[in-house]
Amino acid sequence: MEYIYVELRELENVFTLLILGSFIGLPSPPTTISLRLLPYMAREIIVSMSVSGRLNDMLAEMAGLFEIT
Amino acid sequence: MTFNRNFKVVFFMGKGGVGKTTCAAAFALKASLKKRTLVVSLDPAHNLGDVLGIELSDEPRKIADNLYAIEVDFESMINKHLKNLTDKIKEIYGYLRVLNLDRYVDILRYSPGIEEYATLDKIMEILKSNVRRRDYDIIVFDTPPTGLTLRIMALPSISAVWIEKLMRLREAILSRRRIVEEITGEKIKAIVKGKELEIPSEKEEDPIYRELTCMMEEVKFVNSIIKDDKLSTMVLVINPEVLPIIEAKRALDFLTKLGMKVRYVIINKVLKVSNGESLPKELRVKLRQEKEALQLIRKHFKEQMVIEVPLLYEEPKGLDKLRGFGEYLTKLVNDAVV
Repeated sequence: MEYIYVELRELENVFTLLILGSFIGLPSPPTTISLRLLPYMAREIIVSMSVSGRLNDMLAEMAGLFEIT
Repeated sequence: MTFNRNFKVVFFMGKGGVGKTTCAAAFALKASLKKRTLVVSLDPAHNLGDVLGIELSDEPRKIADNLYAIEVDFESMINKHLKNLTDKIKEIYGYLRVLNLDRYVDILRYSPGIEEYATLDKIMEILKSNVRRRDYDIIVFDTPPTGLTLRIMALPSISAVWIEKLMRLREAILSRRRIVEEITGEKIKAIVKGKELEIPSEKEEDPIYRELTCMMEEVKFVNSIIKDDKLSTMVLVINPEVLPIIEAKRALDFLTKLGMKVRYVIINKVLKVSNGESLPKELRVKLRQEKEALQLIRKHFKEQMVIEVPLLYEEPKGLDKLRGFGEYLTKLVNDAVV
């Protein structure tokens, strides 16, 4: 179950990066596509911010995933 | 949307200053003798009204029997395109108005690609309107100079690739959400702006998937027209000089890669003289260079019908002179008109 949540979270994160990636220098779709999807991306942006907040400590993240204490 | 296949679209393309607008206007005038025709200027530096000798606007104006013309107002076109986008953003993020930050969203008009997409939107609007109302049998587009036009023509194909990938990724996300719901027995919830919301897991409930589907339909509609050579005719206009020929060849290769067939090339402003020997040296050199350019054209555009239009004594401005110019395009009109 935890793995599905992680997979879902990462997929949502990748989706956000693809749409809004131009803000961090990634190739992104034609601007209009990003702008048309932006109004519906509130949750996805929250997920991405949460993921990026955890990137500082990937070891803890993996430990949590595999329940290593 | 079912597309009525008794309607033709003609795009006149080429480097700036080669005579695209004159050719488009003369073609439209000649075509209007047989069919209801609309000629649309998409060039930000409009000349269509000057060539026709009539002031034009963003609304179709009658020029002659069966002939109407539009000069697209670029400022309004971009504003309208952005308004549709930013209204939704401002609706969701309504608190920006309270902080007077919504004006910063207006900077989006300067984003790369906005001008191209706004122009494509306008083309789509004109085509969709004609599918619904069938006001015209032929729509002629006088396009901006080659660089911008090629980016506009490439947009539907590029957008289709992106939208397809995003839809597949979105389907994977929705699938994982359904698995979580099956396991937990309830919808996934999230707190957004202090409110608890149920997160969609089916395609029909997901506004992002719906928006992607809508975008894909629009892109398919445009591609179904511009890539179908029975509906769309691409005409390259060049002058008998090396630089326009090289640019036109690149444009031809680019359009061919996109799946668009260029069937006609108009060589405009060909200098024709009866006795070359009596000319000053400068003009003889010019004639020789022109002959070499014409040979280059025959080499690069073997599969296209090449139409030569001579350099005329007087600028072809106004309906009478355009009718004369149109005689050189008879073969093109007869071939392209249903």
